[in-house]
Amino acid sequence: MNRKRLMVLWKYVAFARISARHGRYDRTELYGRMAFFVVILGVFSSLWRATREAGLAIAADPKSLVWYLASTEWILLSAPLMHVDVQEALRRGDVAYQVGRPVSYVGATFAQGLGSVGSRSPLLAATAFLCAFAFTGWVPPWSSLAAVVLFGLIAIGLLTAFHLAIGLVAFWIGEVTPLFWVWQKLLFVFGGLMLPIRLYPPIMQRLAALTPFPDILAGPASFVLDGEAVAAHVLILRLAMWCVATTAIVQWMYARARRALTVNGG
Amino acid sequence: MPDNPAVELQELTKSFRVRRPTGRGIAARLRDVVAPQTHAVVAVDRLSFSVRSGERVAFIGPNGAGKSTTLKILAGILHPDGGTVRVLGLVPSHQRHALAFRIGTVFGQRSQLWYQLPPRDTFALLGRVYEVDASEHRRRIDMLVTLFELGSLVDTPVRQLSLGERMRCEIAASLLHAPQLLFLDEPTIGLDVSAKATIRELLRAESYRLGVTLLLTSHDTGDIERVCDRVIVIHRGRLLWDGTLADLRRSYLTAKRLTLWTEAERLDVGMPGVRVISSHSYCTELEIDADVTSLGSVVDAALRQSAIRDLTVEDAPLDVVIRTMYADADARGGS
Amino acid sequence: MRPRRNSIRFAAALLATNLKASLMLRGAFAMQVIFMALNNFTFFVFWWVLMRRVPEIRGWRLTDVELLFGIVAVAVGLTITVAGGVRYLGHLIEQGELDTLLVQPPPVLLHAVGMRSQSSGFGDMVSGLILIALSGHVSWIDTPRVVVAIVAAALVFAASGILFFSVAFWLGKSDTVARQMWELVITFSLYPEPLFGGVLRLVLYTVIPAAWVGYMPAHVARQASVGQLLLLVSAAAGYLVLAAVMFQRGLRRYASGSRFGVFG
Repeated sequence: MNRKRLMVLWKYVAFARISARHGRYDRTELYGRMAFFVVILGVFSSLWRATREAGLAIAADPKSLVWYLASTEWILLSAPLMHVDVQEALRRGDVAYQVGRPVSYVGATFAQGLGSVGSRSPLLAATAFLCAFAFTGWVPPWSSLAAVVLFGLIAIGLLTAFHLAIGLVAFWIGEVTPLFWVWQKLLFVFGGLMLPIRLYPPIMQRLAALTPFPDILAGPASFVLDGEAVAAHVLILRLAMWCVATTAIVQWMYARARRALTVNGG
Repeated sequence: MPDNPAVELQELTKSFRVRRPTGRGIAARLRDVVAPQTHAVVAVDRLSFSVRSGERVAFIGPNGAGKSTTLKILAGILHPDGGTVRVLGLVPSHQRHALAFRIGTVFGQRSQLWYQLPPRDTFALLGRVYEVDASEHRRRIDMLVTLFELGSLVDTPVRQLSLGERMRCEIAASLLHAPQLLFLDEPTIGLDVSAKATIRELLRAESYRLGVTLLLTSHDTGDIERVCDRVIVIHRGRLLWDGTLADLRRSYLTAKRLTLWTEAERLDVGMPGVRVISSHSYCTELEIDADVTSLGSVVDAALRQSAIRDLTVEDAPLDVVIRTMYADADARGGS
Repeated sequence: MRPRRNSIRFAAALLATNLKASLMLRGAFAMQVIFMALNNFTFFVFWWVLMRRVPEIRGWRLTDVELLFGIVAVAVGLTITVAGGVRYLGHLIEQGELDTLLVQPPPVLLHAVGMRSQSSGFGDMVSGLILIALSGHVSWIDTPRVVVAIVAAALVFAASGILFFSVAFWLGKSDTVARQMWELVITFSLYPEPLFGGVLRLVLYTVIPAAWVGYMPAHVARQASVGQLLLLVSAAAGYLVLAAVMFQRGLRRYASGSRFGVFG
């Protein structure tokens, strides 16, 4: 029984590995993202310095805010835009074809996504680290960075799963790009991409707490901020909860889609 | 007898510099960017021919043969290295703008009709593209709609049209500005048999009625046979054949295909010059080289083995003819 | 003058056809417009939240950011609606699809940039106009000046895109890089100029002309200095001429066939 389980798992690992290797061939887009990373960190380090000058202390010093942005951007940019692939696959009818194979389509796609993460996120992490250091001349304590990486990786996985779910919605509404934009903007705002959520007006903070967004970006990144980082055990619980919820939702969506495909013949 | 040819080429020459990657690895790639290794490839080699106004000519040539390059030079898209070119009395490389008003194009794989809109809207835009006077434009649209039997199709969004209907509208669109010369690339690709027949008939008839010269490229030999009278074969940038289809068949390949339906289950005709293409129960297909052995002697030999229920005789199919031509040219070292 | 009048008529017809095509699918059109507007507003939320705590940064207030955002949004929206083909210029060049345009009478660049239109541009324009109005820095009498500023910004934006994508004539597969450079123009244009130090500021007035798309037009929209207005207009004209020249040179190279070994 154990060996059989292992073989099934190995199948998915194979998908991940192929995806990671494939990533090595389409580097231009990644390099572009890295360049953007450099620009945005540069602009913001300048902005936070200027904000400090304006006299008002923002409950966090400029250097750590730059590292905060580096962390949230690292998480955001590491998650591949799966929704595009899933939408395309559905459009081309690939999904109907793959439904018959002895691998779960969503499992395989998710594994490929993780493979892609594996090839992107180290490079992006290195860029983040080097730029943040170059612009601030400071490095946060290693324990904080370790926490960011640990929770960040889980967050990236969760975000990838969400992208997959959004892609699956294409089965019902066809074109999901506008939906993705809205999702992404909500993530930016309620995930505290550029500004830690604790600096938001209280109503917005309460609203954000009801969504997975702060746990994806602000939570993991908050470990580099001096002062109160989010409570680690709370964050891990929330991330776990969202992971379970997303897995359930994705499986449910896929089951419905698959039933409809096999009943109606795609 | 028109004395001004529609197309006239003399000693046309065109070469390209092709960049060749020197190897893999970062060092090689850097070298390729800074100091690329190039070598010249001759795409068109002293090509000469002329096309009369109203003729329907098919261009045949394998990919990389210089066929597309020649057509692009004729259209003014590419500039030649040497030789003279005259299309409709104009020099394409110098008078591209003027020429553009007098030529039209039909691409089987690329549509110039706007997908979401009815063809009529594209027609209207084309009126502005070709600076056609409004009333003249309206008259032309009406004429073409009648000729091509488009009816309500012109007011239906293109995405709701079948491929065959779309192609009819495409061809009508290409003729709106009354071009004297039409370039066609794979016009029947993807169409079913009856749609192909309709399009081919349309092209042939309208070219004759409107006096439009056709230059066609297609991998579908049916297009060539049904639409064109003349075939120009280009291989390695040189003219390999220029003449009518019938002449091509007759002089180039002397093979015939003989299919026999017999009373006996199997036929065994082992004669020189006879090749068995396929052999099924009661049916045998043979290819006969008329230079080696006559058709009659093969039939006699078959009759000695079995009574013959039915037989058909055909010329070799066009693609076989052409393939043989390339093979011969290659064997001769591209002379 | 006749050829130019025909070109104008053609450009107008092209735009009209594009708009008609966009409106054929009402649902998709509305979604694109609404989501783009939403997109811009959420981007703006960051500044709103930040400036509630820090009302002024290096002389910039929320209303200044609103005006800047608004001008850039309308300019970008205008460009991608009227000249939506700029974004696909690299693709056209690399795939040899300029051939279809070269075979037709209208000027190739005009045809290429006008042959596509993105509906989301309307979302940009609407949200931009709202932000400009909210900023309170301009009133109805200023409309002509604001229009000039926006059009100049749009021209610089379009020209910079043409310049970046035209590199494909020489370097082939440069579409991704060109697109990212073009997006950088927008990114930089949305941040207040005082944030940028010496060298970077020079870049933003030249190679990546974000200052001519955001800062200068916003500045001109507010104040009436004739000299600055003329400067902006000349900059726009200059970039446009540069773009046209570069494209023509590239086209000549295209026609000589010295693309990457594509022949047959």
